[in-house]
Amino acid sequence: MQDVERFRKRAIFQHWWIVACSLLLGLTGLFLFLSWVSPAAWWGWSRLVHRIAAVGFVGIPVIYFILNPKSTLEWLKEAFTWNKEDLGWLQAAPSYYFGGPEEDMPPQDRSNTGQKLWMLVVVITSVVFVITGFIMWFFQGSIPQGAYQAMVLLHDIAFIAGGTMLLVHIALAAFHPRMSEAMRSMTTGKATVDYVKTHHGKWYERIAAEK
Amino acid sequence: MADKAILYDATKCTACRGCQVACKSWNELPAETTTNRGTYENPPDLSPDTWLKMEFREVGSIANEDMRWLFTRRACMHCADAACVKVCPTGALYYNSLGFVSLDKGKCTGCGYCVEFCPFEIPRIDTGIGQVLVRAAKCTACTTPGLDRIDNGYEPACVKTCPTGALKYGDRYELITAAKAKVEELKADGHPDANLYGENLVGGTHVLYILDDKPELYGLITDPKVPATATAWQDVIKPLGYAAAGVVGLGLLLNIMVARARIISKEEK
Repeated sequence: MQDVERFRKRAIFQHWWIVACSLLLGLTGLFLFLSWVSPAAWWGWSRLVHRIAAVGFVGIPVIYFILNPKSTLEWLKEAFTWNKEDLGWLQAAPSYYFGGPEEDMPPQDRSNTGQKLWMLVVVITSVVFVITGFIMWFFQGSIPQGAYQAMVLLHDIAFIAGGTMLLVHIALAAFHPRMSEAMRSMTTGKATVDYVKTHHGKWYERIAAEK
Repeated sequence: MADKAILYDATKCTACRGCQVACKSWNELPAETTTNRGTYENPPDLSPDTWLKMEFREVGSIANEDMRWLFTRRACMHCADAACVKVCPTGALYYNSLGFVSLDKGKCTGCGYCVEFCPFEIPRIDTGIGQVLVRAAKCTACTTPGLDRIDNGYEPACVKTCPTGALKYGDRYELITAAKAKVEELKADGHPDANLYGENLVGGTHVLYILDDKPELYGLITDPKVPATATAWQDVIKPLGYAAAGVVGLGLLLNIMVARARIISKEEK
């Protein structure tokens, strides 16, 4: 069967790099969030791991942006482009994801509305994480207590929002029967024409016309 | 066990700073290199190596002939409703059986939340990029695990060394009774603003001050409170977080089970 390129190698590398950093950050953060795993944070090694992972989390996307400014901006534009068609996805999604008829889902672009929603969550929570984290790391003791407290709370809220949505992302991408080629796309970069036609019909039409 | 407390009588204190030295000595804290800032007050601030310091204040003026030199003890107040304990994520800060807020450095992860949420701004932590494995530090009323004087039948080091009796250690209620009598004496003796500081603050502190004047003159905050952010964070945001993750997690499990069953059965047809 014929394949379509969904992701470039460098995008796949960045994805899994961010996965690794996010897991380290999330786990070491969770040590402070759940009292019954907090002994894992004793002695402060998790604090060090958290900071090293934070550097990686910020570093690779920055390098990626410098090397691929155009595709990064396109990706951002995609995340922030919303129109009436997204409403169609939202209406069809509950039935679709619970195994309802596939034909009821309107044709989707390169990223469907749910994927765009996740992209938005990633962008927004990352910005909050990075700004509040940076301030907590480098400005402890030099900003007023109230300002620092706000940073702690915002960091936590971003963790709850981002972490909860990450559960959705993992469940759909890795375990949902309808997203059968999501994992293959993000490992090999390719998806079958059949899959792309049924899952990203609008995008397929466009790339087929360009050929 | 009945709560214990440390009572500091500012009217008896000569600011000899024996308590500062005894604190460092017992808790194995090094001296700090400081510079002369034109005051006897030294070191300039609490630090991870200085858990107790005496503050010197000049109030009034020579022209009005009401110049006074006031001394205040600055160290952990051992609140009954302690913000530091509320926000400590690892259980390193805890209430011990005597009501003191103790600190087990072995459990401290160095997050510094206690530093940022204490209404008295007492705990300290090393900051800076070079500081990798840091620990919070503060007075534990000599109940630090491994360095516990109280458990061994002694009083806190600062109390033991105090030459004027300005520091007393004992049953909290007995100390309060005695302190109130002293406050009445002071009032009768021409100090109408004399007061006992700490009895009802933040749940009732386990360090109490006898003052012959308003607390603000001594540089003490009049209305210390557990920050609203600490309550919002621990009692609202975190439980909401657990609930959100739980509901979403269960919903996803259900979704995938239903979707699998329906889609796979369709394929079989």
